[in-house]
Amino acid sequence: MPQSKTPEKPQNTGSTRARFKVGDRVRVKDMPNLFYTRTQMYVRGIVGTIAALTYEDILPEDEAFNRDGRLEQYYIVRFRQKDLWPEYPFDNDTLQTESPERWLEPVSN
Amino acid sequence: MSTRSELRQQQELIGSLQPALHVPQNWNYEVDGPLYKAYMHPPHDVGGQFDVPVQYEEKEEEQWELNTYVTCEVLGWRGIWNSEERRRRADNDLGYTLYLGIPYYGRWIWAAARMLVDKNHVSLTELLEKIAEVKSRYAAK
Repeated sequence: MPQSKTPEKPQNTGSTRARFKVGDRVRVKDMPNLFYTRTQMYVRGIVGTIAALTYEDILPEDEAFNRDGRLEQYYIVRFRQKDLWPEYPFDNDTLQTESPERWLEPVSN
Repeated sequence: MSTRSELRQQQELIGSLQPALHVPQNWNYEVDGPLYKAYMHPPHDVGGQFDVPVQYEEKEEEQWELNTYVTCEVLGWRGIWNSEERRRRADNDLGYTLYLGIPYYGRWIWAAARMLVDKNHVSLTELLEKIAEVKSRYAAK
C-alpha cells in the first residue's frame, strides 16, 4: 500500500555515510530502463568527477511511486563535453548533472 | 550505452517510434476530433482494423511464456490483482507502441511488474537492481 512520505529538507553538507568525495572519479551505471528514471541515457557508462555533495534524498525511482526508501547522498557530477559528445568543438567545456549515489560506481585512477 | 555511435543509433530508433501516423508528433497544441479519438482508442479493440499480412504459425508456448502465465494467475489467486485489472494494464496502460511492439506474454509480464511496483509490493529500485544482477549473471556465462 502507498506509504506517506515526509519530505526531507535538503542539506548543504554531505553526510558521513557518503561514499564519494569531491574530486572522486565515478562512472554512471547503465541500469535497465523500466517505468521511470531521472538518469539520462547520455551520461550512462561515462566517467565524470564529483563536483559537489548536495543533500540526501529518496531515489527518484522510488519516490515516483510514493514509496519510502532510505535516504541516499546526491552528488553534482561534472563531465567533459567531449566525453559525452565526441564531435563537441571545445576541449575545456564541461556539463554538470545531479545523480544519487546508487547510480554511481567508483573508477580507479 | 557503451559507445556514442550506439547511443546515436538508439536515439534514432527511439525517434522512429511514432506509432500510427508515421509523421513526427510532439507537443501538439491542437488535436482534431478524429485524431483525438484515435489517441484515446483502447489499443486492444482491434476488430475490423486493417493489418499487415501476417503469416499463420503453429507455435508452441515457450517456457518463459508459461512461467509468465502461471505468475500472473498466482498473483490473482493471492488477491494481488484480478484478470480485468491485468487486461486493463496489459492491453491499455502500456500504450500502442509497447502493445504492438512486444510479444503477447511480454505485455503480461510488463503489466505484472508495473502492478507490483504501483502497489508497493516491490520497489522499482529493487526490481532494476535485480534485473541488472540477473543480466550480468547471464552475460558472464
